[in-house]
Amino acid sequence: MGTREEMLSMLRMMMMIRNFEETADKLTLRGKVSGGMHNSSGQEAVAVGVMSALAPDDVIATTHRSHHHTLAKGFTAREVMAELMTKATGVSKGRGASMHLGDVARGHFGGNGIVGAGMGIGMGAALGIKMAGDKKVAIGFVGDGGMNTGRTWEAINMAAIWKLPLIVVVDNNQYAVETFIDRVTAGGDLAKRASGFGLPASTIDGQNVLEVKEAVSKARDFALAGNGPTFINALTYRYYGHNVGEKGQYRTLEEIEDWRTHRDPIDQFAARLLKEGMLDEATYDEMKASVDAEIKDAVEFAENSPYPDPAEVMLNVDSGKLRG
Amino acid sequence: MEEVFIPALGMAMEEAYLEKWIKQEGESVNAGDVIALIETDKAQVEVVCESSGTVGKHRYQVGASVPVGQTITVILAPGESE
Repeated sequence: MGTREEMLSMLRMMMMIRNFEETADKLTLRGKVSGGMHNSSGQEAVAVGVMSALAPDDVIATTHRSHHHTLAKGFTAREVMAELMTKATGVSKGRGASMHLGDVARGHFGGNGIVGAGMGIGMGAALGIKMAGDKKVAIGFVGDGGMNTGRTWEAINMAAIWKLPLIVVVDNNQYAVETFIDRVTAGGDLAKRASGFGLPASTIDGQNVLEVKEAVSKARDFALAGNGPTFINALTYRYYGHNVGEKGQYRTLEEIEDWRTHRDPIDQFAARLLKEGMLDEATYDEMKASVDAEIKDAVEFAENSPYPDPAEVMLNVDSGKLRG
Repeated sequence: MEEVFIPALGMAMEEAYLEKWIKQEGESVNAGDVIALIETDKAQVEVVCESSGTVGKHRYQVGASVPVGQTITVILAPGESE
């Protein structure tokens, strides 16, 4: 299972992500988040499970819904919240907002607004790793919606035929905006579709953080041994709309309540740790309070941060070599 | 006291037209009740109560253009006043 310290740190990260998202959701409705956001509440175990199996210099490339991946990768609540408000202190210096969090130097090749594109970026990173002879892997996150776009399968094909150190993780919350996956996905299980490319492919419980971690650890060892990519379809669920402000009427309140009550990744993991004697009520309450304080501080930090200086508008736009 | 406000529902939304108050000042409401109708981006949107209680003072009248994020009324818990 791992050490108590490691388990508690995974639980706390999931709690921090949930608190971050619910806080940011409210700020978005109040008009304080430029350009809106996609709330990842309910999907914490996928992000934390993946990141806890990685080494710090492994690379991730993500999607439009990327706060959970970014926070789990080790970016602070302060710098992510500040980026949501497009402040100069944000992850992307206020240029990116919610969908363009990233920092290549820290192994985060960014989120983006194009369905399925993170997978292609992850594949490119994996190709770079292989060409450089580095001992690391790249994660290409993709949603269930991205699984029905052509470019994702082109990337998987190339990763498979070139044996690239790519781990495809489908952060499968089962709804492409308002479309339920089963209504648009031929052949049923996505892992079956992926296995046609001749790579290990499985569907796992994305609400079980330890199951995610184990699957990614195995895939990482496989890739580092030179065997190429793995496809992991992690079944999860988002509690809120596709984007903040969406009036979702495409699924029942009972369905959402059922996932929240019976399959919540944080509740399930906390219960497991309680049972294993790694967690007690007092520790859990302390963690909750410390997460609360961390997010409050992040909001305050973001609100008090300046917007980028207009004089720096050309920064990071080009190499600077063509200008005087 | 729960503030009821104009939600930012789209990336470009800056204000909304207050079309109708469904719940009147002093009226009891339950969480989930529609309290007002607003119009934005050519769509009509229901503003819903997040908590149960009594509707406070209407801070805007029908026909007003209200900026995003602005509080339009509050839901008072028993014993609370504005």
